[in-house]
Amino acid sequence: MEYKCPCCGGGINFDSGIQKMKCPYCDTEFEMETLQSFDNELRTDGDEDLTWNKATNAQWMEGELDGLKTYGCQSCGAEIVADETLGASKCPYCDSPIVMKAQFAGDLKPDYVIPFKLDKKAATDKLKEHLSNKKLLPKIFKDQNHIDEVKGVYVPFWLFDADANARIRYRATKVRHWSDSQYMYKETSYYAVMRGGNISFNTIPVDGSSKMADDLMESIEPFNFQEAVPFQSAYLAGYLADRYDVDSDASIGRANDRVRKSTEVAFARTVEGYSTVIPETTNIRLSNGKVRYALYPVWILNTSWNGEKYTFAMNGQTGKFVGNLPADKSLAVKYFFKTLGILGVAFTAIARLLFMFI
Amino acid sequence: MKKIYSWIIMALLICTFSISALAAGDSPRVVDDADLLSSSEEKELANKLDKISEKHQVDVVVVTVDDIGSSSVRDYADDYYDYNGYGYGSEYDGVLLLINMSGRDWYISTCGYGIKAFTDFGIDYIGNQITPELGDGKYAKAFDEFADLADTFIQSAKDGKPIRSKKDLPKGPFPWLKAICGSFLIALLIAIIRILCLFGELKSVRKQERADYYTKEGSMHVTDRREFFLYRKVDRTKKPESSGSGSSTHVSSSGRTHGGGGGKF
Repeated sequence: MEYKCPCCGGGINFDSGIQKMKCPYCDTEFEMETLQSFDNELRTDGDEDLTWNKATNAQWMEGELDGLKTYGCQSCGAEIVADETLGASKCPYCDSPIVMKAQFAGDLKPDYVIPFKLDKKAATDKLKEHLSNKKLLPKIFKDQNHIDEVKGVYVPFWLFDADANARIRYRATKVRHWSDSQYMYKETSYYAVMRGGNISFNTIPVDGSSKMADDLMESIEPFNFQEAVPFQSAYLAGYLADRYDVDSDASIGRANDRVRKSTEVAFARTVEGYSTVIPETTNIRLSNGKVRYALYPVWILNTSWNGEKYTFAMNGQTGKFVGNLPADKSLAVKYFFKTLGILGVAFTAIARLLFMFI
Repeated sequence: MKKIYSWIIMALLICTFSISALAAGDSPRVVDDADLLSSSEEKELANKLDKISEKHQVDVVVVTVDDIGSSSVRDYADDYYDYNGYGYGSEYDGVLLLINMSGRDWYISTCGYGIKAFTDFGIDYIGNQITPELGDGKYAKAFDEFADLADTFIQSAKDGKPIRSKKDLPKGPFPWLKAICGSFLIALLIAIIRILCLFGELKSVRKQERADYYTKEGSMHVTDRREFFLYRKVDRTKKPESSGSGSSTHVSSSGRTHGGGGGKF
């Protein structure tokens, strides 16, 4: 039976000259026990299990759906759910007018909602703050007109809970330096580090609306689930709600990626005393997985400028404001040459001064 | 009274003359047997060498010959120096540059304080500086350069910093071009970084790679914790050389100790 070399992956032989195991490809020597232990680890790396259980969602009660209507946007095809008292309004995605289409029916009832904590004024203030003090922002962007058109939207999220059982194998190194009269030496020792354990996650949110950019929604995280309440349609009054069009199954991938990364980092933190620690294989098994459906509050602002569309979002619970801004190229050039000129002259002067003293 | 006065003045005059005689020796500081210099060039060079030698009290001599017969360049130079009375003081402080046209040799012989002022590195350096001119036939220029370098080297040694390696060489004028290029290069780097930061200010939308916020407090338990050693590698790099050279010496036929070095042109 052949053992695999932990350094280069080749097959290892017993070298009778040195009475040790030696890899003919990379010339590294190993003790027999080391190879047996490593081989054990490779065998027991195990399979992953990243499935989630879907919660059974509650059914709508009598009369709950009465006040809710579906509105459609002629321009981009978005479907918004809102209170029937919502007057003429604009689509939160493309700013075109929306019209009431039909009585809202069907769909899953959301399990939870985090009600809006911050009002429209807070949103506009935050926007002003976001636009201030950005040196490369074109002046004209701060035009007063756009600032009023901020919309409060309840965005659908899938919330994932699970207990994760993880087995991670890391490759770690310890480095030692020393020197004698002729040479400088660097010794690198390689170790296999195993960590196994449990870690639980609650309410990891994944955007359930294809219209709402996922990275935009992830940027305004975190949402504090402690303030979530069981859903009641009354909360929707005055706000728009988006319908989910991404199935929970489709959102699983994103949740899994985040679970895996967090687990790797959390366990890597328990590895101490090494110069470098790099994960080699990660295996995660999920249990008690639960998926729930919730509506989270987000203030949305759409703007077009110079032919490009810009979307800003603010977390309606915490106030975190995000949104990519355009750059004024000519300002950038100006700053670049200003910095270059001033520093260039400054350094030359310093060099001249230093030259007199060395 | 008057008689004593004149005796004293005589004595003083004799002393001054003998001192300069001892110093200058019987031979001039430029001996152009190979006739490489015009008479005006010879006179100019002689004046310069006299000035330098007297300033430092170290003889700086230039000798050119057509042929040195069967002796080695080293012996010829050392012997020429010793048997022609060059050198100040009891140690015969001085340095001599010999040019032998038949072999196209140059050789620098040092004695006394000259050994200290002109290290092997220093002699090598001077050789490198004058060889191009010697090769081109610009002898006056080469010897003039030799004189200036000798002046600098002796001065450095007198200041307590004999020239032993590259870093001891005198600085030269401020390198404006290099300084400006270097400064603007660094400024360019910083300007690029600054502009990238300003662009970065505008971006706030990014994916969340992790779910750290959503980790349940206290839910993390490490149940399995194992580490074992795999293998080890050792790299070594040779240390760079430093310090610099001293002066190697030998004893010439006259019994005196000389330093020196030479080459071809």
